[in-house]
Amino acid sequence: MGKKYENVFELLIETTVYKKKPGRNRHDPTQRFVNPAPSKRKEPLTYDISRRPSNSVEEEPKRNKNKLVSLPSLQAIKQEASQFKMLTVSVKWQKKVFEGIEIDVSLPPYVFKAQLYDLTGVPPERQKIMVKGGLLKDDADWSSIGVKDGQKLMMMGTADEIVKAPEKAIVFAEDLPEEEQATNLGYSAGLVNLGNTCYMNSTVQCLKSVPELKSALSNYSLAGRSNDVDQTSHMLTVATRELFGDLDRSVNAVSPTQFWMVLRKKFPQFSQLQNGMHMQQDAEECWTQLLYTLSQSLKAPTSSEDSDAVKALFGVNLRSRVHCQESGEESSETESVYSLKCHISHEVNHLHEGLKHGLKGELEKTSPALGRTAVYLKESLIDSLPRYLTVQFVRFFWKRETNQKAKILRKVDYPLELDIYDLCSEELRKKLEAPRQKLRDEEGKKLGLQTKSSSKDGDVKMTDAEAPSNESGESSTAAQQEGASSSEKGTHMTGIYDLVSVLTHKGRSADSGHYVAWVKQESGKWIQYDDSYPSVQREEDITKLSGGGDWHMAYIIMYKARFVSM
Amino acid sequence: MAPVPDPNNVGGGAKRDEATTKVASKDPKKKDDKKEDDLSEEDLELKQNLELYVERVQDPNPELQKAALESMRQEIRASTSSMTSVPKPLKFLRPHYGTLKELHKNMADSDLKKLLADILSVLALTMSAEGERESLGYRLTGSGGDIGSWGHEYVRNLAGEIAEEYTMRQSEEASVEDLMDLVKQIVAFHMKHNAETEAVDLLMDVEDLDLLLAHVDRTNFRRTCNYLTSSAKFLPGPDDMLVLDIAYMIYMKFEEYPNALQVALFLDNMQYVKQVFTSCSDLLRKKQFCYMISRHGITVELDSEMVADKDDRDMLQDIVNNTKLSEGYLTLARDIEVMEAKTPEDIYKAHLLDGRASSGPSVDSARQNLAATFVNAFVNAGFGQDKLMTVPSDAASGTAGNWLFKNKEHGKTSAAASLGMILLWDVDAGLTQLDKYFHSTDNPVLAGALLGVGINNCGIKSDCDPALALLGEYIDNEDSSVRIGAIMGLGIAYAGSQNDQLRSSLSPILNDAKAPLDVIAFAALSLGMIYVGSCNEEVAQSIIFALMDRSEAQLGDALTRFLPLGLGLLYLGKQQESVEATAEVSKTFNEKIRKYCDMTLLSCAYAGTGNVLKVQDLLAQCGEHLEKGDIHQGPAVLGIAMVAMSEELGLDMAIRSLERVLQYGEQNIRRAVPLALGLLCISNPKVNVMDTLSRLSHDTDSEVAMAAIISLGLIGAGTNNARIAGMLRNLSSYYYKDASLLFCVRIAQGFVHMGKGLLTLSPFHSERLLLSPTALAGIVTLLHACLDMKSIILGKYHYVLYFIVLAMQPRMMLTVDENLKPISVPVRVGQAVDVVGQAGRPKTITGFQTHSTPVLLAAGERAELATDKYIPLSPILEGFIILKENPDYREE
Repeated sequence: MGKKYENVFELLIETTVYKKKPGRNRHDPTQRFVNPAPSKRKEPLTYDISRRPSNSVEEEPKRNKNKLVSLPSLQAIKQEASQFKMLTVSVKWQKKVFEGIEIDVSLPPYVFKAQLYDLTGVPPERQKIMVKGGLLKDDADWSSIGVKDGQKLMMMGTADEIVKAPEKAIVFAEDLPEEEQATNLGYSAGLVNLGNTCYMNSTVQCLKSVPELKSALSNYSLAGRSNDVDQTSHMLTVATRELFGDLDRSVNAVSPTQFWMVLRKKFPQFSQLQNGMHMQQDAEECWTQLLYTLSQSLKAPTSSEDSDAVKALFGVNLRSRVHCQESGEESSETESVYSLKCHISHEVNHLHEGLKHGLKGELEKTSPALGRTAVYLKESLIDSLPRYLTVQFVRFFWKRETNQKAKILRKVDYPLELDIYDLCSEELRKKLEAPRQKLRDEEGKKLGLQTKSSSKDGDVKMTDAEAPSNESGESSTAAQQEGASSSEKGTHMTGIYDLVSVLTHKGRSADSGHYVAWVKQESGKWIQYDDSYPSVQREEDITKLSGGGDWHMAYIIMYKARFVSM
Repeated sequence: MAPVPDPNNVGGGAKRDEATTKVASKDPKKKDDKKEDDLSEEDLELKQNLELYVERVQDPNPELQKAALESMRQEIRASTSSMTSVPKPLKFLRPHYGTLKELHKNMADSDLKKLLADILSVLALTMSAEGERESLGYRLTGSGGDIGSWGHEYVRNLAGEIAEEYTMRQSEEASVEDLMDLVKQIVAFHMKHNAETEAVDLLMDVEDLDLLLAHVDRTNFRRTCNYLTSSAKFLPGPDDMLVLDIAYMIYMKFEEYPNALQVALFLDNMQYVKQVFTSCSDLLRKKQFCYMISRHGITVELDSEMVADKDDRDMLQDIVNNTKLSEGYLTLARDIEVMEAKTPEDIYKAHLLDGRASSGPSVDSARQNLAATFVNAFVNAGFGQDKLMTVPSDAASGTAGNWLFKNKEHGKTSAAASLGMILLWDVDAGLTQLDKYFHSTDNPVLAGALLGVGINNCGIKSDCDPALALLGEYIDNEDSSVRIGAIMGLGIAYAGSQNDQLRSSLSPILNDAKAPLDVIAFAALSLGMIYVGSCNEEVAQSIIFALMDRSEAQLGDALTRFLPLGLGLLYLGKQQESVEATAEVSKTFNEKIRKYCDMTLLSCAYAGTGNVLKVQDLLAQCGEHLEKGDIHQGPAVLGIAMVAMSEELGLDMAIRSLERVLQYGEQNIRRAVPLALGLLCISNPKVNVMDTLSRLSHDTDSEVAMAAIISLGLIGAGTNNARIAGMLRNLSSYYYKDASLLFCVRIAQGFVHMGKGLLTLSPFHSERLLLSPTALAGIVTLLHACLDMKSIILGKYHYVLYFIVLAMQPRMMLTVDENLKPISVPVRVGQAVDVVGQAGRPKTITGFQTHSTPVLLAAGERAELATDKYIPLSPILEGFIILKENPDYREE
């Protein structure tokens, strides 16, 4: 017995010496470990916990000198050791097995854990050693645990960092107040129908999709009100602002009571009654009137000139050539409109044709040359482009023979992407050349079609095209205006527009039916606002609203200009 | 082939004509007259001869009589005639049957009389009226010569008459000794002539299957046992046990240990299991046994008798303890190249849906994140890596920590526990990774860590008992969520272990007046799992007391249903005798729970037995129209599925009955029907069931729809079934607004892609013979929880979904060499063919494809080795299969 222990102590000394060698921080995992001297029992081992050994599988934890216990005299150990029993166990930790670890059963398990700390680098308080009936307690008695010689123990524990809750608490949609959940859906709320107010609801929803209008409204305040705006206009403007705000905040459908009241006050025609109910109204009228009011009240009070926000957003400048065939007189005039009309006749199958048709017209007026009324031919071309191009399908007309308002159900296709280049005046076209080329190049690049040679060509063309546009740009007032309104230097109109909202009418007659708004969200999703019920729609279904049946058909559509930065 | 006189020929012919002749015998005269005309010369001669013999038999001279009888016998035996008609001599002798009978009656006892009796016995084959059993009667008085000499049909007829006679005599309590002699002859004859099924049938009729043992030999024991085991499913108890006993003995006799072990496991007879081990001396084969036991999921301690050498024993115990399961599963995963972790978005495939594509919400939804947690856990189960939980938290923000905290309150429990699922079966890595949560001060996280340890250890046993050591001290934690985590974790980790230590620590909770209801419910459930199918009295007592102590209000709580369920699990599959006492006690319960308890006990006790009578009982329960508030019909519907799921025919019938129930049943039944369908076809997407569920998933009652959606997930679990995946994808867009239904859809999607398609939930294995009790317990628990979806799974006890882990098993076949290292060999995988009762060596699979191992086996598929180079150590090629080199193999 004694002989055997002598060897052990020799080993102990050897190990210690070996431990003290600087620079040797790797050792054999199967290396036998001897427990620290029994005298250590009274003073608990101190560990430098801040020293976190690396936890990788290959590298054994580094040894630290100051952790070592000073060796008691060999004699003392010899005396004590002969009284105690030693057990040899193997400890499994993660995928590794440490064989032949000796336990001195006279020492509390804490010492054993200290041994394991050496091997694994897991601090004793993080160690969980599984023995029969539970975990090994620091102060347990080995004899009661019943660990046998050669037994396999399992240890759990890591020196990893303990998970901490993120400092910033995560906010869940379920916790949010109702208003904030709205943003979560990706679209805003619907509007309650107050009794035949779908014309108004759909108009509001369409206009709300113009962020610039929203921001203009939010800047509107009482103080900034110019004097020439009457009280009701002011109230309507405020009501619009409030309604837009409510819509953005709410999840559930908003009731536009206040707005409606003000609207009726301003425009009494909307409060017509029929059988005690409010009559159905024309959405186009509502749209036009509302925009007109807003344009009046949102006019910048400082400058007297027409730097009005609404006009900058929606206004289309038309340059018309009025020509009288009889007299050969010719004059030109300019006008500003908020929407283009798409006239529907038998030849019109497509929006483009309708627009062309709408820009040509005959009018009768007194000819100074002839001294009587004569038929003049009016041909208009677009002189400046708006950020938002509104197109109205002229679906309702007055049937003279029956004295009735009638609706044209004819199918008129409209594209998701509209190019109005050929409706523009010569000057405007020149200006558009360069940005359009740029846009084409960009798209080509995106598609990966562009080869090196063609890009060179493109460059050449671009420089060619840019030169005249620069020259003419200076002279054009429209361009300046435009530049001011966009306020973003370096972005240019391209004459290409993307569809953003559609206001549809459903029903055969002109006096009844149902208006619905279809609005494209910033996320690219299309939402159908059927009064209080918003629902997601597919993009390809939007182009199917072109009429020709009993389905919803487009009445007013709005396009957003596509810009290109140069 | 040598021209052996084949009795089949005679038999075959007679068999087919039997029916017609019996009818014809009503007006024999007319027919015979007609036939007389067109007889050929040969036949005419035969006929005249026979008539002559009959005349001579009546002659007083015994010499002449004898000669005549001998010749008559000669004629009958020699006649082989064609296959389609009655042998000619029999036909011609028919008119004389009466004469001969008369003669026999008047004859003095002598050899001649016996000879005549023999002939009459054969003639009676076609002549005897129904129920007279004359053939048998004459046979018994006859000379008793070689029974086979009269042909196969004669023997068959005799066997039939014996069975009738036997039942009659049994009722009269008369002796059957003379019959048994005959039975022995017949069995010997059948067994020799490829008619094992008939021999078995006869022996079953006369209740003496032991006779079989003496007659089976190397050539026919397989077919015999095959017939025995498959017929056991249709036999009423206790006959089925008897039949399987015999099958076991035959397998043992011919040293077909793997099959014997299978039967032993089916019988749940540990004595037999031990016997298999002690009888077999080959260590390698014992390893294979261990693999089979580990798949079954029961706890077996190997002792020195079973395996003598300690080192060997340790190694075998390791296999039984499933410690190699993770390794094998990962081998499979690497071979199939699906190691790459998948995110929930990979499963949702939202980009395939039009309209509401992408543009995920900017704010985290706790419900959706919880769904993602589950989906992530199920999909990456056992792979040890994923993209949410195991991502190294190197950055200060710590991604792993992040996802955990993207779940709300009790959601964090499920999130932390999901780590256990991801590292399923890999205990070492699992404990290492879960360790960090143990130090959390957040109670839900700690609860999740405890549950995670349980999940991680599911089906894996270890000497060190890490789960018990770690979870034990939390059983009495003051926070009830932590308690539940620990209790549920223990239930999952030690399911089926019957661990006494756990009983002594969990039972007191049940009867602790201060313990909250949810803790008690989970304790009962865990005890039920741990003692599944054990019929343990003490546990039953504790649960019964707990049930009696509940107040009226508590009995109405959704979680109370786990108490009867825990009780039922104790008797899972053990049938009437064992459950009777408890069922009686349950009649005294409060009426609110009485019926529920009754139904649960009944359905659990007969689970997997295919007992038709019980199915009818349960159906009758569903037929009643109840007042509002009664909920016992839910478990009754589930019970139909539980009882009927064991074999194919009953399963199809149950599906059809459930369709009816669906149409005429009350709302609470309709809610349970989809779940029952899900159980019947678990991990086996049958198209008709899929269609039904798809229809129900749009039901106006949202509970029905939820159940149908979950069930769609269950039937497709682990299959990656594209059709179900598509349906669920569409449902996810259909229900995108309804958070609850969407949650169910997500869970179902997680199920379908469980383990990236490498797992199965089917509790049946080993060619659908064995039913793993723990697996069934897990599924049944989940289904019971789904009966009240709103308060359990959609409430704060969503982690009951993790009970499904008990049923999760790789659906693989992995071949290993003698050193248990995986080797790749070609195998044919095809649809399994039922070969029961077929002679020769019929093909066992059809429409097969050849792959190399490891391979996946879908429901109803079977594999066979496509090479002779190796010999598999188990005939059932599922799970781990050890291959031995074939010593006779020659390279071509």
